[in-house]
Amino acid sequence: MGRSYFVDEAVEEYLSGLQAAPGSCVTGLLAGQSSPQRDFVVLAVQTPHMESEGQPKASKGVSPLDDIDVEWVTEHAKQVSRMLPGGLCILGLFLVTPPELSKDAQNALKRLIFAMDKYIIKGRLWELSEEDVTDRVTLHICFKTKKLVCKTFDVKDPKSSAKPADWKYQTGISSSWPMLACSVEVDLQIPVTGSSSDNTDKCMKDGLRRWAKPIEAAYCLINGRQALDDSELISGQVKTLSFLCHVDSTEQSELDERSSALVQVCSGSMRVRGVVHCRAYIHNNKPKARHAAQAIKRDIINTVCSRVEMFLEDLLINEGSQKGAVVHHVLHVLLKGMVHPKMTILSSVTHSHVVAHVFVFLLYAVHKRRYFEEY
Amino acid sequence: MCCDIIFRLKGILEFACQLDNPNGAQSQGTISKSFQGLQSKVSSKNIVLTVCNSPVLIWPNTGFQSNVESLTEASSCGDILQYIELDDSGTKKSSKKKDKKKSGPTVVNMKLLFEVTEPAGNEAPSLIRVSTQQHCVKMPLPLDCVLSVTTDESMATVCTGLVEALNKQLADMEEVVLRYRKGSSFLVPQPFHFQLPEPAGFTTVIYPAGVPDSQLQDAREDLHNRFKLPSDRPYLRRANAFHFPDAAYKDGYLRNPHIHLNPPNIEDAKLYLVQGVYSYHHYMQDRVDDDGWGCAYRSLQTICSWFQQQGYVETAVPTHTQIQQALVDVGDKEPRFVGSRQWIGSIEVQAVLNQLLGVTSKIMFVSQGSELTTKGRELANHFQTEGTPVMIGGGVLAHTILGVAWSENTGQIRFLILDPHYTGGEDLQTITDKGWCGWKGPEFWDQNAYYNLCLPQRPKTI
Repeated sequence: MGRSYFVDEAVEEYLSGLQAAPGSCVTGLLAGQSSPQRDFVVLAVQTPHMESEGQPKASKGVSPLDDIDVEWVTEHAKQVSRMLPGGLCILGLFLVTPPELSKDAQNALKRLIFAMDKYIIKGRLWELSEEDVTDRVTLHICFKTKKLVCKTFDVKDPKSSAKPADWKYQTGISSSWPMLACSVEVDLQIPVTGSSSDNTDKCMKDGLRRWAKPIEAAYCLINGRQALDDSELISGQVKTLSFLCHVDSTEQSELDERSSALVQVCSGSMRVRGVVHCRAYIHNNKPKARHAAQAIKRDIINTVCSRVEMFLEDLLINEGSQKGAVVHHVLHVLLKGMVHPKMTILSSVTHSHVVAHVFVFLLYAVHKRRYFEEY
Repeated sequence: MCCDIIFRLKGILEFACQLDNPNGAQSQGTISKSFQGLQSKVSSKNIVLTVCNSPVLIWPNTGFQSNVESLTEASSCGDILQYIELDDSGTKKSSKKKDKKKSGPTVVNMKLLFEVTEPAGNEAPSLIRVSTQQHCVKMPLPLDCVLSVTTDESMATVCTGLVEALNKQLADMEEVVLRYRKGSSFLVPQPFHFQLPEPAGFTTVIYPAGVPDSQLQDAREDLHNRFKLPSDRPYLRRANAFHFPDAAYKDGYLRNPHIHLNPPNIEDAKLYLVQGVYSYHHYMQDRVDDDGWGCAYRSLQTICSWFQQQGYVETAVPTHTQIQQALVDVGDKEPRFVGSRQWIGSIEVQAVLNQLLGVTSKIMFVSQGSELTTKGRELANHFQTEGTPVMIGGGVLAHTILGVAWSENTGQIRFLILDPHYTGGEDLQTITDKGWCGWKGPEFWDQNAYYNLCLPQRPKTI
């Protein structure tokens, strides 16, 4: 028996409204939340066209399917997944093709889904737990007949084959999903050894990993009670959320062996300071308190990580040779050439509780918008 | 000890600082500043104390808040015990021992947590990069504070006391870190708790990791003065640290099995017992089959364990081979003695204690076992002044004497014996029930054999 995907009507509307040049394909992302029993899809976003500065790329292969820029699709997936709030993630891909390409579509989808998952999880600081669902959905839509073929692949197993899955539309899937929100103060001091940007990246990653450990292991209190067990999260009743962490991530065994300080000669150091606002949504099909806690913990870690990634990308771009100076960077990022300059907000899901901002973007505007919404 | 509960709060705080020049004059100030930062962290509203094995969480710096409604600042701290789940420690016999005495105060273990979701400010995240060469120092500080109180003390007092203890410990750690720092080499400051005689009481001392006791003589002299401790016996060596009742000994040997015994019922008799802590060594331990020949060796091991645990020596309890080798080294035995199953007696025990531990011993001789009843005063004096376990050998057996019950008036005497001939496992119930550690009367000795006793003397040192 395969998985069941319960899909919001807004997604149905979006998918049926897609335009494609004759004979060409359209790819896009499907986002939502998985639970062990069923999956919920609340969002669909088309891969934006990449307009390169020169002439349009020459056709590579025999079929438009070969022309799908896998790197571009996966980069888009990564950017969108950065922006999704906690609890939501990229669940899969859709592919719209003309009828003559339908039979090759499955192969194309399989390639894409594995490549995408691999790229998205790179650099992720938390581990999947046993309960996490590793099936991803591929949806093929025939442009002419509008026929849907829905299959899943287990991205944990590179040899897995497609399994059939159900795709059901429903209204108001996310309208009563409880939302958890919290603000977390971050103050990380990270020494940097060496001077290349790779070094900086690695030091940052190590520093973030150390910071993330106590967050992952933190006690989570929902309405003052520990969210440890399988007790249900009562929708609409979440009043307070707090995380209590052990003050340091040093393990006792490490401590027993350590008799002196770790001293590194560094070419400098980086300090990340400030408050991040995090939120997570949890489906309303008998959600468990500890899943909610896990979702928001992951959002805290993801949010801080992606902020830091953007800072570092920014540093790289704006690298001057200002040795010995204190360089202060605030949140603003330019990723030139990565994204289409024409901003289109393709979908603004206005259901009351689910995040209202998912968009195809020029990053500047994107981050500005999220920035202003949070502060 | 008048306290019923010991609150023990542990947590690891990371000390970090950047030094431009570790040997420069400014580095001390930078280090102190980091410690001050940690002190304000533990005084902040975001500190949370959790009671281990319970759902209790306490915010001590917000005018006392707890997540358990019935636990308020006015509650007596004894109330906290009802929320703690006692886990089954897996001891073999769960039934109460008939001689069970109160094993001391109850320990309530707590951990230090930090609430990360109550930010003090609201600034957007920023990244500050400093591009000058620096020495980045990171070190975990293993905080471990104790507070011993009676059960009727209020929770408010306990929490204030614990937070104060945290602050004081950070200050003490700063002092130790600065004192033992050499340039950019920092030693981890480690807390040790000691149960000292009044007026000091239950005290915590910070020692630098990796510096052996032998090099900390000066520090101990200072502390002996400060705490008004006698200057002829150790109180503050690491081995003297308080052993918390809920902590198991990692080596698996039983400690002081005699405390679980009822004293003999003799009119007018006083008890004169071994002082401090020893381990019970006996046949077949450590996978050495010495059944039939090793009894004196085991008694000697028990004595060595006493000197180690009272802080006089840092060397481990010697093996049979090491004991034999020591006797060869002093010329008392031929080299082929090593690896043999030859018995040893009190004289050999005295020689090994001297050779391996630097400990001198007195030898007492009785020509007949029946004479031992006349040695009450001498043995009582020994336990009062030296308090070390005594090895006794005679006939074909060796034993350890841990104390006497002696009446000065009637001369009646009983001997507290630890028997090294036991071949079973470390089962306290069996050992006490079957008399492997027990009170014996004069008839225990072979009335006609002669006996030698080895009475080890405490070295005069701190």
